[in-house]
Amino acid sequence: MDNIALGPDAQANHTLAVLRGDTMDGTLGKNVEFLPGLTLRADPALDLQGTWRSPPGRLLELEAAPGAPGDWIGLHLTLPLADLAGIGSVGFAARASASKTTVLRACFRSGVGRGFVDTFFDKQLLLRPEEASHVDVLAPRMRADMPERAPWRELIFFLPTEAFRIALIDLRVFAV
Amino acid sequence: MSLALVIPVRDDQERLNRLLHQAAQSGVFDQVVICDDGSQDPVTIDREIGLGNRVTLLRHKQSQGPGIARNRALAKVRTTHMLYFDSDDCLTGELPLLWQDLQGEDFDFCLFRHHDSRNDRWGQMPIDNALWRRAGAGPASLFEPDRAALLALAQTANYPWNKIYRTGFLRDHKLQCAEVPLHEDIPLHWQSFLQAERVLASDRVAAVHFVQDSGQRMTNQSGAERLCVFEPLGTVAESLADSGNTGLTMAFFDFTSGLLDWVRAALDPLLRDVMDHRTGTFLKTHLAPGIFDRIARTDPVLALRLVLQMAGRRAPC
Repeated sequence: MDNIALGPDAQANHTLAVLRGDTMDGTLGKNVEFLPGLTLRADPALDLQGTWRSPPGRLLELEAAPGAPGDWIGLHLTLPLADLAGIGSVGFAARASASKTTVLRACFRSGVGRGFVDTFFDKQLLLRPEEASHVDVLAPRMRADMPERAPWRELIFFLPTEAFRIALIDLRVFAV
Repeated sequence: MSLALVIPVRDDQERLNRLLHQAAQSGVFDQVVICDDGSQDPVTIDREIGLGNRVTLLRHKQSQGPGIARNRALAKVRTTHMLYFDSDDCLTGELPLLWQDLQGEDFDFCLFRHHDSRNDRWGQMPIDNALWRRAGAGPASLFEPDRAALLALAQTANYPWNKIYRTGFLRDHKLQCAEVPLHEDIPLHWQSFLQAERVLASDRVAAVHFVQDSGQRMTNQSGAERLCVFEPLGTVAESLADSGNTGLTMAFFDFTSGLLDWVRAALDPLLRDVMDHRTGTFLKTHLAPGIFDRIARTDPVLALRLVLQMAGRRAPC
């Protein structure tokens, strides 16, 4: 399925649309690629186990059970936004729920040399058993920690490092 | 698998048209059975809606109530599965996705979430949300609740339109609505939980339920017709007593206690003494000592509420 939409956010939204339109499932581990451009990466120390499912019309349902303590689990969405010149706002709109009240943080990661810099969105995502919407935005010109040029970018959601059940029902990104 | 939409309607052509448009656009219904329950101007089906020959239209010359209308419509269903719906409610875009999810699944009924117009945020009323939380199985677009989760989900509002039923399940067990003017959906709901071998649930919000704050809708009735609640409750209590299903029976009396309080609050104040007396009589007749003892051990607050209701006194909030 080819993407014919244009714009810096189009490829990411295309990836998400493909996942929403498909039905897939699998097991969780330290590195899971749901589709090219959408990956879950976990601290190997966590010995992450569990399952994921992409039901009709939804992105992801994750049921995770870390086998040991660890430091991070991230859901990474690749954003082909090498140049932020002329971009006033970068953000996302999500609908999500969780089996119990859960707080997530999201950041915009920019590749810098061999490393990266994270720019965190101001608001935290509050997930509840009832699905809820969340919108947040970053203004690149107002963030000194957001380089205008970078070889690669990602939107990352940091997930709990304890057992969790989360549904990422929908996600759309924008760079305008 | 094929799906029917079953709609009782009375004097509600405009909103029925809205629902039929949605049903046609959803593309999931192989049959739509409408039972016109004595509308002053008989219901008509606009051919431009696009349901073609999939519509079965029945008509009662005089209103007989939604329970009889649903039961009569059920007899005309030709599909493997069916969904009851009220004419003034709406389908959401989640219903076709749920139906897609259910393909190939063997189940007796699938319970799904809804949005209630009285709620100030998207979703169900707080009491139903709390029960879904207690069920604790989500979030999941489709899951099989365990026994404890089923006991919580059974206590959610007894609506007929938040479940996709296997038609054979309803027919095999002769599951129907009570033929009373109000609360007709209580036996269908509880006997479904009692008889089902496999229940599925979905956190998809697949229906929007509209409640008008005033007017002649059934929900707003506050007269003596509300007292008919004891008839369907009695039917369920007897079925549960025969079944020996202690867990579901305890859940039923928890639900019943709350429902009777709600009915009392909705009643004309002049009828509340009668309501209190009938409540006491009902509980003394149907709440077996063994069940009450179990409730007293596991939920003393509910036990106290039931004692007060049995004594014909209003339970404290």
